[in-house]
Amino acid sequence: MSNIKINGVQLEKMLKNGLNNLLSHKDEVNKLNVFPVPDGDTGTNMSLTLSHGLNSAASRQEAGPYLKAVSDGMLLGARGNSGVILSQLFKGLYTELARAGVITPALFRNALIRAYKTAYASVVHPVEGTILTVAREGIEHIRTQVTRRTTIEEFLAMYAAEMRKSLSFTPELLPVLKESGVIDSGAYGYILIFEGMLDQLYGKLHQAQEPDEAVTMSASQPPIDASYFNENSAFEEGYCMEFILQLMKGEKYTQRFILKSYIEDLKLYGTSIVVVQDGRRIKVHIHTFIPAKIITLSQEFGEFLTFKLENMQLQHNEAFASAKGEKKALTVIAAVNGEGMEKVFRELGCDVVINSSGAANASTEDFIRALGAVNAEKVVVLPNNKNVVMAAEQAARLAEAKNVEVLPTKSPAEGYFAAAMDIQDSDDVEMRVKQMRAGMKSTVTLTESVATKDYENGVTSCKAGEEIVLVNGELTAASTDWCDCLINGLKAVPGIEDVESCVIFKGESASDEQEAILAGRLSECFPLLEATFVYGGQSVYRFIIGISE
Amino acid sequence: MSKLIIMADGTCDLTKELTEEYGVVTVPGHLVFPGGKEYRETLTWDAVPRDEFYADLKKRPDEYATAPANVEEFYLAMEPYAAEGDDMIVCTISAAMSGAYNFALQAKEKICRKYPVKVQIIDSMRFGPGFGLMVLYAAKKRNEGLGFDEVTGWLEENKNRFHQAGWLDDLSFVAKKGRLTHAKAFFGALAGIKPIGEFDYNGMTTVIGKAKGAKKAYAALLSYIEGTIEDPSEQIIFIAQTNRLPQAEEFKKLIEEKFKPKAIYIKDVFPSCGINVGPGLMAAYYVGRPISKDLGFERELLNKYLEAKE
Repeated sequence: MSNIKINGVQLEKMLKNGLNNLLSHKDEVNKLNVFPVPDGDTGTNMSLTLSHGLNSAASRQEAGPYLKAVSDGMLLGARGNSGVILSQLFKGLYTELARAGVITPALFRNALIRAYKTAYASVVHPVEGTILTVAREGIEHIRTQVTRRTTIEEFLAMYAAEMRKSLSFTPELLPVLKESGVIDSGAYGYILIFEGMLDQLYGKLHQAQEPDEAVTMSASQPPIDASYFNENSAFEEGYCMEFILQLMKGEKYTQRFILKSYIEDLKLYGTSIVVVQDGRRIKVHIHTFIPAKIITLSQEFGEFLTFKLENMQLQHNEAFASAKGEKKALTVIAAVNGEGMEKVFRELGCDVVINSSGAANASTEDFIRALGAVNAEKVVVLPNNKNVVMAAEQAARLAEAKNVEVLPTKSPAEGYFAAAMDIQDSDDVEMRVKQMRAGMKSTVTLTESVATKDYENGVTSCKAGEEIVLVNGELTAASTDWCDCLINGLKAVPGIEDVESCVIFKGESASDEQEAILAGRLSECFPLLEATFVYGGQSVYRFIIGISE
Repeated sequence: MSKLIIMADGTCDLTKELTEEYGVVTVPGHLVFPGGKEYRETLTWDAVPRDEFYADLKKRPDEYATAPANVEEFYLAMEPYAAEGDDMIVCTISAAMSGAYNFALQAKEKICRKYPVKVQIIDSMRFGPGFGLMVLYAAKKRNEGLGFDEVTGWLEENKNRFHQAGWLDDLSFVAKKGRLTHAKAFFGALAGIKPIGEFDYNGMTTVIGKAKGAKKAYAALLSYIEGTIEDPSEQIIFIAQTNRLPQAEEFKKLIEEKFKPKAIYIKDVFPSCGINVGPGLMAAYYVGRPISKDLGFERELLNKYLEAKE
């Protein structure tokens, strides 16, 4: 069987198979890390981005509109730099296919050309040897080979094969890949998606996998303030219900579940209905005043796997109250990972702290939600992670009405000094931004962790399992002793002998005893250096040291 | 013959040598130390040495508290002089930070109902060494022969010229105890960053700039003092430090070299103020041009020297 065109429904199946293929190789992609640090998350970020797109698009016959919904969802759900680039590739795809009911190989070719051009344009300094190169070469090398007789299968097979070839050359283009003996992780993830799409056409289905927790988690939402709803409040907004229903076997349950009639029944009780069926699981989103009716209806077919009910009046009142609140001259939004860091940035005076706890990076949507909640003339965003900068920048572009500036803080240390230099009690916005920029600038970040593999960068080398210190992301010291390693890393910082102070974020794995050891060694080796320890609770790095002069 | 008494509450941080030399009467407040023990401020380190006190304060700030002398205590301090027929000028710590001003006012009313003397309560709008310096100037004016009306007039006219130029590198204390204008969230530790505070129109302190590290801060502060001080060679300058003696000594040396003031003292901050300011204060106090209402001039001046370059 071969296809000369595909419609929206087929495309959806293909993309889901593509996602499942990516998910089943997720750990492998995560491990393709340039640096010998166990913080690789490209596979996680790309799969979260794609699954956010697929989850937010309803099934459509027409390929173009379906792809638009997927693309919109991906733009919002984009996590990590690879996720942002993937979302831009899909934005290009849909832009070309916007009016297409079905996709032919020729249209697909044109769309994939548009895709890589869109992605290149979205990156300030495109780097070759990455997903960009592979997406470009993959289509450019076969664009002339698409004829009227080419099937979708043949086309995708050529595309995937060409991308594989391109992928194998990425280490030649990007020295850091060659040094660490890996291929580019983002490019590999992108190929896995298209190979999964092709597999679907051949009937090779990849096992559905649960994407990471972070998709459904809304860690960034501030806790709801219940004081906005009381016995005298009007109740005009109803509830927002979200659940996943597991269809069950057994006498208790109606055996025939018909999606269409289930949706018709839901319409009697609520609005804003989104229902997605995934095998024997039904994901439902609905706004209603009578949740009991929906619970009763749903339990005819099965039981709830997850269930969420929110009082929308409360959210409405709270949003209304905050919108009415005085417009601030400047609001600072910081993105962090974990409660320790959240506390640090709150205490430094950041107005909104997005905490994407766990392994995930903050997504574009997290930033858009935070941007939507603030009422200020100007907003400054501190991403505090080099892999979150692009998601923040994408959010700033999408939220175009607001005057948003992303200060590209690449580490918590850079964000710390930016926030610490801010003068929160001043109304002089320009001066405050200047202060923050001065804080970020000339900050040196040292991170200490355990090497995941042998590595060398021409200056330093390490063996897997050794303690290592990266200075501004570059391997600088390796040793069997973590403390020696940090001291050697510090000694390599130019002008360290004149540095007066530093901040040290204690990680999850750092004990009080280790803090005392480090403090002792520091005062021994750098008597003039005053160290301020704060609890960051970060997972990968035992200690992160920030120096700013 | 009746005298003119200069009196100040115990937060003026003037040591015995200075109060005796200039003739100042102090009315000490109350301190609560860990374990709930209450003491009367002595303006000495007899009970507990400075370094020990500040180290412990840093560890458990919530177990320390202060209270000003109450109405009765102010009354009792004033009464012997009133009985002699002496007039009194009583200076208090900024009313924005403490109840001392109001207590002194109530004590004054009681005194004046009973005794035919003149009493003026002055809200210094300052704390600690800035306040102490003002009291010293008042005593000096009195010692030069100025009378009750002239000294009170001078104080009201000139109190806005008492400057603070220095840093408070641990803002958690002032934020917690509400001694900083706009203190919203400054609880975080500031690794090496020196927030530079000046007295403001609320009788509190406002951060007008931040310096990365002490070296940059000294340089900017010296230029800032140069741009705001008047007749430095005629001045008594105080350098206050809570637990920053080495830095204060460095600052003193730099100021002496540059301005050659008439006198310069490094002054400890005793627990009455120290408990609320914390261990991170290091600042110079001097008389200069009147402080602007919105601190706009001061901010611009300081930041010109801080050069927060991008």
